[in-house]
Amino acid sequence: MGNKVTTFTDDQLEAYQDCTFFTRKEILRVFKRYQELAPDLIPFNMTGDESRKIKMPVDVIEGMAELNENPFKTRVCEVFSEDGSGNMSFDDFLDMFSVFSEAAPRDIKTAYGFRIYDFDGDNYLSRPDLEKTLTSLTQDELTAEEVAFVVDKVLEEADLDDDGMLSYIEFEHVISRAPDFLNTFHIRI
Amino acid sequence: MSRDSAYIYDDVPNQMGEYQYENQRSGQQYEMSDMASKGDGKVGLTRRKTWAAHNGADLETARLLENLPSRQLENLTNTLGRDTVRLNHRRLKSFHGPFQHGDGEETSTEIANMVTNDPDFDDRTEDEIHTLLKGMTTTLSSKRAIRRKVSSKRKRQLGWFTRVKYNIGMSWQHFKYSIAEVMYSLELWKSHLKLIEGHFGTGVTSYFLFLKWLFLINIPVFLLTLGFVVLPQVLYRWYENVPTGYQQTNTSKSFTGAELLDGRGWFENTELYYGFYTNETIQITSGYKYHMRYAYLFTCGGYYLLCLIILATSILRSYRKYYIEGSGDFNYYFKVFNGWDYGITSQEAARLKHKSLYSELVEYLAGFKAPKDKSLTAKCQIFWLRVLTNVTVLALLASSGYLIYYISITMETKDIAWLDVFAMPLCITAINLLLPLVFHGLEQLEDYSKPKTELYVHMVRTMTLKAVTLCVLVNFWYGRSSRRMCWETFMGQEIYRLVIVDFIFTLLITFLFEFVRKIMAKYCVKRLSLPEFNIGRNTLDLIYSQTLCWLGTFYCPLLSCIVLIKLIIIFYVKRVSVLQNCKPSLRPWRAARSHTIFLAFLFCFFLLSTVAVACGIIFVLPSEECGPYKGQNQTYEIVTELIDDWREDEPWLTYIIDFISSPGCIAAIVILLGMGTYYIRLVMIGHKEMVILLEQQLALEGKDKNFLLQILQNVNKQNRKKDKKTPDRPFASPSDDVESITSPGGRKFIRQVAEASARGGHGQM
Repeated sequence: MGNKVTTFTDDQLEAYQDCTFFTRKEILRVFKRYQELAPDLIPFNMTGDESRKIKMPVDVIEGMAELNENPFKTRVCEVFSEDGSGNMSFDDFLDMFSVFSEAAPRDIKTAYGFRIYDFDGDNYLSRPDLEKTLTSLTQDELTAEEVAFVVDKVLEEADLDDDGMLSYIEFEHVISRAPDFLNTFHIRI
Repeated sequence: MSRDSAYIYDDVPNQMGEYQYENQRSGQQYEMSDMASKGDGKVGLTRRKTWAAHNGADLETARLLENLPSRQLENLTNTLGRDTVRLNHRRLKSFHGPFQHGDGEETSTEIANMVTNDPDFDDRTEDEIHTLLKGMTTTLSSKRAIRRKVSSKRKRQLGWFTRVKYNIGMSWQHFKYSIAEVMYSLELWKSHLKLIEGHFGTGVTSYFLFLKWLFLINIPVFLLTLGFVVLPQVLYRWYENVPTGYQQTNTSKSFTGAELLDGRGWFENTELYYGFYTNETIQITSGYKYHMRYAYLFTCGGYYLLCLIILATSILRSYRKYYIEGSGDFNYYFKVFNGWDYGITSQEAARLKHKSLYSELVEYLAGFKAPKDKSLTAKCQIFWLRVLTNVTVLALLASSGYLIYYISITMETKDIAWLDVFAMPLCITAINLLLPLVFHGLEQLEDYSKPKTELYVHMVRTMTLKAVTLCVLVNFWYGRSSRRMCWETFMGQEIYRLVIVDFIFTLLITFLFEFVRKIMAKYCVKRLSLPEFNIGRNTLDLIYSQTLCWLGTFYCPLLSCIVLIKLIIIFYVKRVSVLQNCKPSLRPWRAARSHTIFLAFLFCFFLLSTVAVACGIIFVLPSEECGPYKGQNQTYEIVTELIDDWREDEPWLTYIIDFISSPGCIAAIVILLGMGTYYIRLVMIGHKEMVILLEQQLALEGKDKNFLLQILQNVNKQNRKKDKKTPDRPFASPSDDVESITSPGGRKFIRQVAEASARGGHGQM
């Protein structure tokens, strides 16, 4: 942030640039955002191993303006955090916003989208996963019968091999038909 | 196949990250320690909900299922998977899929080894390696580790030539990154867009993005005209000190504020209008001449060509990205998985979004439960009603065209203070405001089943109205060109006035419909709701103003600058108005599809304005007293003269030009293009049908699998029963236990399989 203190070494910035969809300025901007969340926790100097070791607690991240109103915020934090608990280091944080950025291609967004909606983590979108997605979207306003009906319709539309669950391939097959997916799966930072 | 609608499974995750599945019938315990590596020692990881678990069936089958090749793929990727995916038309292996790779040194080393041991590795450019890295669905830390290992391995393996290639690749990467940095810092209005998206979602943001894109398109147009047309003229006037162009009187007019509105008076003798430009060949230094006439015409051609390229590539890209034609029957799926807009940050918008999703789903559920089937008489009625409304629309269009023409004709001869010049723009603006309301009423009558169709019909009608009025005007101007002294300047002035009046009315409408309505809703009339931002109408207005810019830049070169300023002001006004006065809409706006449609409209209008200007250049006689083409028979004449000059100098050029412009050649090109389009369309239709066939095949394969697994399961049961009883007992008929397989062929098949397995021994199971 300041001129005297270098936050990242050149090598680090280059590594970040090669591994994410951000430019250097965007990376520094994301870091600024990260630090603003908990200024006492995150040092200015991240040239060592801090970007991997220091983890911001999950409730601080979920309290961010960009994520606060998102019904899937808990799941998003779990998916992107290295240990699955939701506590994110700066690497995880940057990775998350890189996937959600405009430059990320459809493939990687689809992959992470699948993982976010897969609440139990078994690589299939089964009925409980779909039901949970639906209730998060509508804030529990639909009756159980309606939820079951919609989940039936979704499976009917997308489940090709008729096993009662959506695998990644089936998910991707339909999402590739969705023109709005790239627009909605996007967070500006 | 019977299937429970309620989902049943029993499993208890234990501390070690494994889980135990207990089958109530056989009392065995089956351990599946499937670590989908989210790190070591993580509690409660993957649980396999297999087909077997789903049907409460037995563990043998579950174990068997784990050995199926399709499941093996997933197990592989859990440790170190690879899918071969085509990237950039080259076979690049990418680490695809939703499976997170294990962390820790071994995994990243293994992945790095996989990358470097790939036979094509040496040929890979840095760009491709980085694309590969970016596409991996693993944590950033492991990506960095992989990158380090790969680049260290790479550096060791290089010979001299490859090192040179590597360096070139690296410097190209650096160059691209610095360009990206520059573009990032130049990015306009980022914070505003973020704020709007947070409060209103992607629909309203798409309008502002469209505005920004139009702004960016106009910048090169402006710079081209400035650099090649306006500046030389200004410099010429400066050095020669000769007031060129045409002057109606010899007195120079003074500048009063009113000229900003009507564009007459002082502006007539400035670079604003075509009439002021010289037709001379300016001598810059010895030997170098600047032909103003060529400059003017070729700059015009240049920026039209540039706009054509930009528009065509944008439409193609947008069509490919957004308008992928699928079977389109994925309504529920899309609502569930595309429903949430991740950009929303305000509480109010989130609440409304939840409500909107809920009401959409309820609407769909209601629609499904009571299918509307119209009777034949109702359908007939609607058909004739629609015919009637379309005829009405045509009549309205024709009459508005005639009205414009009539007003222009009468105002030509009159000389009332302000009305004579402003009657026509005011009339057009009024028509553009009022007739769409009439169209709305007609659409309510027409009763379209889908709101999407209604929206598209309305947009087509509104844009046809605008096109018709502009056509009538252009026709009028060209038709009566001979009656004026400097008709090009007059045409430039008319378009200038159109632009200014359009701008003023946009501001007025924003003020009236949004600000005033908000005040009324808050303080006076409690029942009135806050206004919603009408994305369709506003975007169509933007398209209209851009058309005016394209139409008018030839006759009023500084018009692009005026439109740029107009766009900036409109952006800020709309942004303030939207955030202060409007509320987010409950109805969802399909931003992606609409974007392609708006681009298509823009492209149509661009073509229309190009045709209009081309007609003016080729067919209409330039005026005698003013402008760069005074005294010629047509503006296009200079091009023909140029070609004639070339023919004299280089005779071989004659053959080429004659050949290209011969009717045969042009016809051949057109036919080839038509054939190409038809062929591609056939291929597309073929692919679509193939997709449907493959989907059906896939469904059948799934059914095959279920059928076979059921048989297997039953055979297993048989074998176990046989084990539990005496080994000598004859093999029981499998058909007793097979409840769901009733076809004779099925039973015969089962019998054969059972006999074969009994012969082979159950050790092979």
